[in-house]
Amino acid sequence: MTYLIRGKVALLLKIIIVGLASAILLMLAQSAFAQREYVISAFLALTILALVLTYLTKISIPLKFFIPGILLLIAFVIGPILYTVAMSGFNYKTGNIISKEEAIVQVKIRGIEADPAGTSFDIKLGTYDGKEAILISDIANLKYFISTADSRISVAANDVTLNEYGVGITAPNFTTLNDAQMASADKSYTKIKFQYEGEYFIALEGFDAGIVTRQVLEYLPATDEFRNLVNGSVYRDNGRGNYALVDDQTAILEPGWRAPIWFENYSKIITDPRVREPLVRVFIWTVAFAFLTVFTTFALGLLLALALNRPIFGRRIYRSILVLPYAMPSVMSILIWGGMFNTEFGAINTLFGSDIAWFSDPNFARVAVILVNLWLGFPYFYLISSGSLQAIPSELLEAAAIDGANPRQIFRKVTLPLLLQILSPLLIASFAFNFNNFNLIYLLTGGGPRNELDGEIAGATDILISYTYKIAFGTGTQDLGLASAISLIIFVLVASISLYSLKKSKVLETFG
Amino acid sequence: MKKWLRHDSWRHIIAIFVCLFALFPLYLVVISSFASSGSLQLTSFIPREISFKNYRLLFNDPTIPYLSWVQNSLIIAGSVAVLSVIIGSASAFAFSRLKFKGRKQGIQLLLLVQMFPAILAISALYVIMERVYSFAPSIGLGTRAGLLLVYLGGAMGVNIWLLKGFVDSIPAELDEAAKIDGASEVQTFWLIFVPLAAPVLAVVSLLSFIGTFNEFILARLFLVDMESRTVAVGLQQFIGGQYSQNWGPFAAGSILASIPIVIIFLSLQKYIVSGLTAGSVKG
Repeated sequence: MTYLIRGKVALLLKIIIVGLASAILLMLAQSAFAQREYVISAFLALTILALVLTYLTKISIPLKFFIPGILLLIAFVIGPILYTVAMSGFNYKTGNIISKEEAIVQVKIRGIEADPAGTSFDIKLGTYDGKEAILISDIANLKYFISTADSRISVAANDVTLNEYGVGITAPNFTTLNDAQMASADKSYTKIKFQYEGEYFIALEGFDAGIVTRQVLEYLPATDEFRNLVNGSVYRDNGRGNYALVDDQTAILEPGWRAPIWFENYSKIITDPRVREPLVRVFIWTVAFAFLTVFTTFALGLLLALALNRPIFGRRIYRSILVLPYAMPSVMSILIWGGMFNTEFGAINTLFGSDIAWFSDPNFARVAVILVNLWLGFPYFYLISSGSLQAIPSELLEAAAIDGANPRQIFRKVTLPLLLQILSPLLIASFAFNFNNFNLIYLLTGGGPRNELDGEIAGATDILISYTYKIAFGTGTQDLGLASAISLIIFVLVASISLYSLKKSKVLETFG
Repeated sequence: MKKWLRHDSWRHIIAIFVCLFALFPLYLVVISSFASSGSLQLTSFIPREISFKNYRLLFNDPTIPYLSWVQNSLIIAGSVAVLSVIIGSASAFAFSRLKFKGRKQGIQLLLLVQMFPAILAISALYVIMERVYSFAPSIGLGTRAGLLLVYLGGAMGVNIWLLKGFVDSIPAELDEAAKIDGASEVQTFWLIFVPLAAPVLAVVSLLSFIGTFNEFILARLFLVDMESRTVAVGLQQFIGGQYSQNWGPFAAGSILASIPIVIIFLSLQKYIVSGLTAGSVKG
């Protein structure tokens, strides 16, 4: 083994590994650069530099240990955190996803209108003089012409061969596209404005039809505005990721782009009642849910720990059964519980002979969530509490007994306070974990039930994180900017709770 | 016998009652997996038939790529478990044993970073991996390799933190002795520290394995192809959506996938109590 980490073999091995990693990263950096992902490309380039400097020179010994971990942390934790911070300052939602340059192109493409008569023709894709062209058949008037981006050539009817529908398929100097060319035609042909008459041109509608259209919106790069060519109205950048009509700011052009709006996503949380009210409701339930979960799981776990604190008959068997819920992969247990709460076929209603629509009633759904989380969580606190009970010195309990305290008093005045002191960091950690217990809510109730009628996406059992997920990836408007802002608020909350608990448990003092 | 009743009966009543609560869902899954009806109904406590239809379905039905789901989960969780502990223990060792500028600030930053739940950055991760896909389709969004990288990065913070706590508790005499004997830091790490810490590294890596195996939402969002899904995501599909509440194969698939996890978990029980993992609650 030793030769692998010292001597010539080791050096060679090191050079090969670092070289190989650098080569792969260099390739990635190049293609990232080609795709104009400059930040990612720069990160990859710095990664190569860091690897080479650290492992092929003697610049710093600690870095040899840190570099792989640091790079992974930067790429997949710190980077995304910073990206979240950045996104939270942007108007970044459905309709405002692309960059401004892309948005201008899209607005131009969409800023057309068909002629008043709605004229459309059958067409054939091909080339004329080596340029992209279409052969247009005006079947009603038996007229045919070839059109390219800059000219329109009439073709005599008897020069054109027709198919059984009367559509021209060949014409002199016109080469029809073959199947392979058709497959790649989508990119070029759909963007071309084929000449028709005056301001009108022909836009493709699929590969077989063309519609007579004209450009209505014109982009003026000098002033960065769109002008309506028909009625002369002007649309300007409203500073929030859209071109809006100068006289009526609510009339905006679609699509918009992601634009910086700084703290608006945060201020919206406070000032906009449509954002604030569901969020406050969800927040209250999140705290209640996390608290009730910690309370119920700890209470049941402690009760069991006390009951099994003596070597009674069958204790080992009890113990192995009791930890099973904790050992099962939780994704599967949660889904099973979901099935058990089914109103018609569910085992719970069958067992109790009841007829409760568990997931349709807000309160029953909340009870179900707490109950399932109790099942998932009590073994953890059972294990932890029974460990801690052993750690309480028996002299203390004996002393209390000698002083005449009865078992209940001993528990309330001695055991419980000591236990709470030992376990408080773990109780707080459990609170913080359940505060973000996404899997449970998402897989059990999906956050529901929710009021379908008022269009509100927050459901009765939604906690902050599942609500945030819905905001970012839900079925309606996806608002990545607002979701990022809420995510960061959750992080600050959870981090404060955890730091407080760590400070209390004095971990911070051992630094240095 | 009478004394048993008088003194310990309440203990047994509580234990039996909670055991029934713990076992009920598990029992239901087991009998559902052997029933041919494909539902999760409680028709009777004692199964009337034992059918292996659901288990056969998992392995023979070409529309259910159960084996590739299991394979994906094992490969992804296994790689995360091994790599995150190798990389994490190196950083933990350096934090704990080496002297360098900015060490204290580094630890504080790590403490903060390891508190950040990956799920909070899920939109950012999604957008970033979508961008990665645009220039490197083999490691971007929708690929197992991409998911593995995201998991690996996400596991780093907590693992370094846990392992640092452990390294701190190993007496420094051994590696000081190695230093006096002329060993470099890198040699001390590989030849002294790693063999010494092997059992703990194994425990932390098994915990990472379980955690990754259990991860749902990133896998759900990142892996779109039927073939490339993990077990957790694949099985969820049986009962949500496209297979319309097909509990039979779900139950069978869950049981097969859970058995190894349950065994690993039960064997790690004492470490979970001992506080090595203090503060890390299983997800």
